[in-house]
Amino acid sequence: MTDVGFIIAGYGVILGGTALYVGLLLRRLAAARRVSLQIRHEAESAAPAAPDRQA
Amino acid sequence: MGTRVLGIVALLAVVAASVNALFLVPADVYQGDAQRIMYVHVPSAWLGYLSFGVTALAGIGYLWKRDLRLDAIAVSGAEIGVMFTAFAIWGGMMWGKPVWGVFWQWEDPRLTTTALLLALYLGYLLFRRLTDDPHRRAARAAVVGIVAAVDIPIVHFSVEWWRGLHQGPTFGSPDKLLHPAAPVLFVIALVGMVVAFTLAWVWLMIRRYGLARIEWQIEEHGRLGRISAARRAARTAVAPADGAPEGA
Repeated sequence: MTDVGFIIAGYGVILGGTALYVGLLLRRLAAARRVSLQIRHEAESAAPAAPDRQA
Repeated sequence: MGTRVLGIVALLAVVAASVNALFLVPADVYQGDAQRIMYVHVPSAWLGYLSFGVTALAGIGYLWKRDLRLDAIAVSGAEIGVMFTAFAIWGGMMWGKPVWGVFWQWEDPRLTTTALLLALYLGYLLFRRLTDDPHRRAARAAVVGIVAAVDIPIVHFSVEWWRGLHQGPTFGSPDKLLHPAAPVLFVIALVGMVVAFTLAWVWLMIRRYGLARIEWQIEEHGRLGRISAARRAARTAVAPADGAPEGA
């Protein structure tokens, strides 16, 4: 392999790998936010029902 | 908003520094174009140190304050540090083959201790999966993170303490980096890439920390849900026995 080949392999893996990690991180973050929002909605919808049950 | 701006600035900085390192800076007289790999290898190694240092400090902070936010910082540092240490090893291998003639040499202390550092923090990430209790996990992980950090100075000074294939440190020896014979374009390219990578690291840390916080909240919700479900199940199991006639 020539020097250029090693440079492409070096930069490709490091910059490409970082970009891949950024993509995966943003996807994980979006998924976690969705679940967190769902939990909050469930908690909010359950909260007003509590006094009714007591009544 | 601020984090988004930082992300855009970091992206532009990495692109600009990469274009400079790949196309504008002249090739090294002795190493040729292969030397350009150093512009991504050195920043990756620096960020590996920085990340694991943050993990260890956050671990100490957690053991002191028992604040789970510090554990979120610790796990963020470990995950990002593993990635950058793996990149440093990869970049070193890609540079080593054309310059040294070998991808890897186990006898070299810098290479071997760096591989050990990567293994230690991979172990740290796996170790965190052993327990669901957030405080128990944080405390155990903090100890592992602190003990593993002992390898950071060993990696850094290995090139001074023992003889091997790897050259002396680039940073930490100003006589080398700021040597009058060091072409200023090379120094600018390297420092520029270090700054660009560090900006990207700050953005990654903020995002990863945010994820750790949300994951912890979800986990906590699930844990509380399991506890209340278990209590409900215990109550329903006890209720018929209480209500049942004694003679029955």
